Amino acid sequence: MRRWFAPGALAALLAVAAAGALILPRSDEPTTGERADALARELRCPDCQGLSVADSPTQSALEIRRQIDELLASGASPDEVRAHFVERYGDWILLAPASPVLWAVPFLALGLGASVLLAWLLRARRRAGPASARPDDDVRRRLHEEAEALDA
Amino acid sequence: MTLRRLRWLLVPLLVVPLAWLLFTGFGRDPREVASPLIGGPAPEWSLATLDGGTLSSDDLAGRPYIVNFWASWCIPQCVDEHPVLANAYERYGDELAIVGVLYQDRPADAEAFLARYGDAGYPHLIDEGGWLAIEYGITGPPETFFVGADGIVRDKQFGPLTEALMAERLGAILTAASR
Repeated sequence: MRRWFAPGALAALLAVAAAGALILPRSDEPTTGERADALARELRCPDCQGLSVADSPTQSALEIRRQIDELLASGASPDEVRAHFVERYGDWILLAPASPVLWAVPFLALGLGASVLLAWLLRARRRAGPASARPDDDVRRRLHEEAEALDA
Repeated sequence: MTLRRLRWLLVPLLVVPLAWLLFTGFGRDPREVASPLIGGPAPEWSLATLDGGTLSSDDLAGRPYIVNFWASWCIPQCVDEHPVLANAYERYGDELAIVGVLYQDRPADAEAFLARYGDAGYPHLIDEGGWLAIEYGITGPPETFFVGADGIVRDKQFGPLTEALMAERLGAILTAASR
């Protein structure tokens, strides 16, 4: 009986641990602090040049960070926190463009530029191709003379 | 359409917007953004004043008022517009309230500024931590908001006020008779 006690206890322990891992909620959800950090990285520091609230130590950045913490603690969602600052500063306060269409603009510009370049290159090649293959009048005349000389 | 024609179309399509960006965009302060507060109710506040009292936005209810964010270190812009605000305060008296708000400034420095450039007598709020500046969406002084007697934000001045700009902006909150 005693022989089976240790392996049995170990098996029971493993079973409880496995059940716990399956039943208990996993902590993938970001903590309030992590959500506040993410929001601070998304918001522009109002009195800086191109810095986020997370990257700046100015009084405005610190106050915005304090308000983010306060809003999240009061139960506001990240969207509601963003809206809180957009209501005061407009979309300017968001470092990333609010409209997903704007993300496509650089790619559209790149595509347009590449198309124009490609069209120009193809056109130049088409124009250069026949011009180099066509013998000029002098060569044509000499070929004609040589052919006649061979015939004679 | 042939490629040759398309090429001439590309010139205005690319050059004109780029030239427009260069001439308009780069000459502007990137922080000069249109305030979303215009047309909506002004933020409510209750703060300590430089003279030791307390002032609340409720105390200004029923009167048009100006909220001017300034700092003693904001030179020369805040120095330049200081007499413009003082003149308006003197000229309109009780018809118009003016409130200064210290932006990231020490009260002692603000007092020294007023002693040097003149204290017109209107109150100045001590915005400890900069809460009110965030409420108004301030990016840097001087910035001035014009609030109507109905408590609605009617206009905003980014940068220093001149007499001409003050007259223009006041048109949004004062009746024709009082102007």
